Amino acid sequence: MAFAKVAIVLLIVFLPILSQAQQPILEQTVALNVSRVTLEEAINQLSEQTGLSFSYNPGKVPVDKLVTIQANQSPLRKVLEELTRQSSTEFEFVEGQVILRAAKKGTSKSSNYTFSGYVKDEASGEALIGATVFVEDLKVGTVTNSYGYFSLTLPPGTYQLMFSFVGFANVSESLELGVSSNRVIYLKENSPLLQEIVVEARSPTLLEENLMSKANLKPIDIEQKPALFGEWDAVKSLESQQGVKMHSDGSTYYYVRGGDRDQNLIMIDDAPIYNPSHLLGFFSTIIPDAVNDIDFYRGAMPASLGGRLSSVMDVRTKRGNDKNLSIWGNVGLISTKLGIEGPFKKNKSSYLVSGRLSRIKWIFKESAPDIEKFRFSDLTGKANFTLNDKNRLFLSFYTGSDSYLTSTGGIEWTNNAATIGWNNVISSRLFLNTTVAASAYDYFLSVDPATNTRWNSHISNFNLKANFSYFIDPQQDLSFGASLNGYNFNPGNIASDGTNAGPITSVRNSGEAILFANHDVKINQRWGVNYGLRLSSWTNQGEAFEFIFDDNRNAIDTLYFEQGDRYKNYVRLEPRFTVSHFLQKNTTLKASYSRNVQNIHFISNSISPFTSLEVWLPSSINIKPQLSDQVSLGYQQFFDKVGLTFETEFYYKRMQNQIDYEPHAETLLNPLIESEMRFGETTSYGLETQLRKENGRLKGSVGYTYSRAQRRFKEINNGKAYNAFFDRPNQINMTLNYDLTLRWSLSLNYIYYTGAPFSSPVSFYKVNGLEVPIYGEKNNDRLPDYHRLDVAATLKLNKRTENRFKHELTVSLYNLYNRENIIFENYNKVQDGEEFKVKSNLLDNTQVPTQFYLFGLIPSLSYSFKWL
Amino acid sequence: MTVRSTIALIIAALLLMRCEEQFVAELNVTDLDLIVVDGILTNENLNHRIKVTRPHTELGGTGIPVSGAVLEIYEGDTKKFTVTEFPVGSGEYFTEQMRAVVGEVYTLRMFYGGKVFFAQNVSTPVEPLETIQYSQSAASPDLFRIELNESGRDPNFISHIISWQGTQSCQVNEACGGVIVHYDLKTADANELFKPDKKEFLIPAGAIVVRKKYSVNPSYRSFLRGVLSETEWRGGVFDIQRDNASSNLSAGAIGFFAVSTVVSDTTIIQ
Repeated sequence: MAFAKVAIVLLIVFLPILSQAQQPILEQTVALNVSRVTLEEAINQLSEQTGLSFSYNPGKVPVDKLVTIQANQSPLRKVLEELTRQSSTEFEFVEGQVILRAAKKGTSKSSNYTFSGYVKDEASGEALIGATVFVEDLKVGTVTNSYGYFSLTLPPGTYQLMFSFVGFANVSESLELGVSSNRVIYLKENSPLLQEIVVEARSPTLLEENLMSKANLKPIDIEQKPALFGEWDAVKSLESQQGVKMHSDGSTYYYVRGGDRDQNLIMIDDAPIYNPSHLLGFFSTIIPDAVNDIDFYRGAMPASLGGRLSSVMDVRTKRGNDKNLSIWGNVGLISTKLGIEGPFKKNKSSYLVSGRLSRIKWIFKESAPDIEKFRFSDLTGKANFTLNDKNRLFLSFYTGSDSYLTSTGGIEWTNNAATIGWNNVISSRLFLNTTVAASAYDYFLSVDPATNTRWNSHISNFNLKANFSYFIDPQQDLSFGASLNGYNFNPGNIASDGTNAGPITSVRNSGEAILFANHDVKINQRWGVNYGLRLSSWTNQGEAFEFIFDDNRNAIDTLYFEQGDRYKNYVRLEPRFTVSHFLQKNTTLKASYSRNVQNIHFISNSISPFTSLEVWLPSSINIKPQLSDQVSLGYQQFFDKVGLTFETEFYYKRMQNQIDYEPHAETLLNPLIESEMRFGETTSYGLETQLRKENGRLKGSVGYTYSRAQRRFKEINNGKAYNAFFDRPNQINMTLNYDLTLRWSLSLNYIYYTGAPFSSPVSFYKVNGLEVPIYGEKNNDRLPDYHRLDVAATLKLNKRTENRFKHELTVSLYNLYNRENIIFENYNKVQDGEEFKVKSNLLDNTQVPTQFYLFGLIPSLSYSFKWL
Repeated sequence: MTVRSTIALIIAALLLMRCEEQFVAELNVTDLDLIVVDGILTNENLNHRIKVTRPHTELGGTGIPVSGAVLEIYEGDTKKFTVTEFPVGSGEYFTEQMRAVVGEVYTLRMFYGGKVFFAQNVSTPVEPLETIQYSQSAASPDLFRIELNESGRDPNFISHIISWQGTQSCQVNEACGGVIVHYDLKTADANELFKPDKKEFLIPAGAIVVRKKYSVNPSYRSFLRGVLSETEWRGGVFDIQRDNASSNLSAGAIGFFAVSTVVSDTTIIQ
């Protein structure tokens, strides 16, 4: 006891002395620059430099943990704090030595603070989606979400933060983090420079994300590409993406990694667009002028997205300039566009309205005077309100229509979509986005305008979605939420202003409830994982009628369901998983698996590239949900000295419950339409490679893809596998943009695909005087290869870049070398002057094989302006 | 202007840039050991023809006759009609003089190459022919075009056998005749709606037009729909997947053995 008293007295006397003594030791400056070395090695280096001894229990302290630290003349205390933070340990200075022990649970997190906020464009206040926020001292960072929001939770301290975004000047800010705080960071767009800009030493964001098979498209990238008739087009620009195959000229249909054309979801501000085409498909509805950002997923996508097997194109429209009024527009050969945006209240609320109207009727005024309407249009609007620091509200809508009518009939289609969104920063680490979205698509075939008699197919949906993002720390975030969807389908019925009989084909209603969660973790400097799960429950609901078929597809019973009756339910789990591994600095290897489910199906046996009479049906008694399982393996390398990114991905994908059709299936006005369907599977695989440069005077990408897609249906092609229409093994893409001078820029786009498979006759026979082809194996032949080179030159008409009014002129040459890319081959036509037509006189036996192509060389001129 | 011509006009306007040209087709010709049957029994009291061929591989070619087959036709379960190849080697087989009755089931049985081919069909009634419509060509007032419109409520097709042999318009060494068949299958198909234009066939004044309207039963309609999808409706802008037309023949034979009811009339164009 006496000894203990003495010890206590000595401790009380000497403790302050000891404390004072350790202060100078911990404040001595040291230099430690190590990357991905074990904690033990870092400690050894510190020990050598300082002469201090380190004590620890190797069984409890993770001495093999890899740490990275860049410290030059930094206080030893700070270096130790960082080392222990990275290794989840604690240190104590006792008796001239450093004691290391494993951190107690919760101690490290409880003292952290959160720095959050938004990254915006300084000129317009527009959210910068995907901007990087990087903590230089810790070599950690994050990216802004779809609303420009970020959140970083860090230990207290002083940090140097770097905010960066492609095309904008980096901003470096010092952060004294003692309490949680938030801030809006504004980045300034880079001035046009002719000298090669300094290449960023850091790798592109996509390389660092725990995601793969993803591309990000900026409106400026789309506007720099040559375009058909000068009409810049977001959907058509996908042709330069790896894994994407456009149907042909004049089409907005596209196929991703062996998936059919209905397996691609396009969303504008969370509202789906079912037919993104204008003028049969010559142009898409999505013009870049009103777009802020596009994410395109062709593989494992976040669990919050889904509903289609093959791809998601997530389009975010501009929120509108909340600083100044700005007006922009474009005049081309086909259409005129005009947009206006500005603040309701500066820095608080904004609006944007943009419209496009075609001007092509005059072309046919002389040649086709019977045409009454010949037009397409788009109108996009958005309003944003910053309610307070934590709450923002936005409303957006899109409406687009096509009308091609004479006094006796014609075709029309409309897309309408609207979204109300609410961003709520519940806490600096918890972000909630709630959206209510509605979308409707109608196709009309008018047969008697006097009585408004028309064939109409329809699909609409209403969606409520809550998506939480929890930013746990710089190494991990969690997103989770729920979504409710209601669908209405009319697979095509005749309606008029007069008395209508009941529907020939049953109108269907379905509901869908979805739960999803996604966890993104950077395990350490080398390893990262992103895993998620999506649970969907699909329910069909009356009023509806459905048929029961026997094995020979004969209807043997009709089931009637009263309004509100729930009669079929499918519950499916969709796991997604991506692992990434940094092999070395700027080089990653990634692998992913994903399962996707699709419950809405496009019913068409058309092989036409053009938008025809479109019919959608839900999963139900006779149609099972489509399923896909995809594995991918990717390698990415960023060459920082030259600013080049090399990417390659291999994928294998198996799709079940795929739909094909009975020969010459009747898909219109057929109540027994399901009896015409056949179900089977598609397998696809491919190797995609791309070299990309995103900065500098010369930008662009060059890619090559080898891919295959084969279908197998028990009742088609005698059960043998056959090439899918979109099986086009070789694909080359090249997109280049070069700033020749401050005012002149040049761009080039080249594309090559192997020809599309089709069934060519193997012989003929005659019936009633008609020469009927006989087909052998399905898709036994291929159309000639598709290739095309487009070029464009843009002249900025302003001599002074600081003018508020900016305008430019673009000259495009689409299909420069006038390649005749064949869409169809026919074997049933006879020559009639310079045209080829089907014979009327069956005794005429002069039919010849013909081929059909759409565009030769198409020059165009467009004028664009912006008043900012 | 009909809906179809409206649509055609719009599509033509939309596809102003399109171009169609002849090319040299290299077909993946395979040696298909197929038998093609093309026969139709009607209510006309005559020797009905059934043509049996093998497919040809050249566009515009002629089927290779299948000679020496043994054909039998049964009405119901018992009544049998003899069928004879004439001339021998032609692949054209004719029934004895007979009339197909509405509602009766007719069976074709064919023995060839050690195989038995079998087909059945039944005739449905035909609606009366409507008055023929034709109009003068604006460009050549001496020439006429036959207006082909929908007729009746039931699926049908109308064959027009046209001859101006013996008129002043018929020149020496000229084929002074033609055949037009107008199908009205009462279907709703995008490829039919947007089918390609037909070459105009103008006929001179004095031409004799013999029209025959054929009833089309559901299985025959399905076959004809497939045939038209691959012929008259093929080559428009909303083409559908290519596939073989269905058949009611067994053992892998193709074509169709049809039974139909016919009404006819004759008109002199003037």
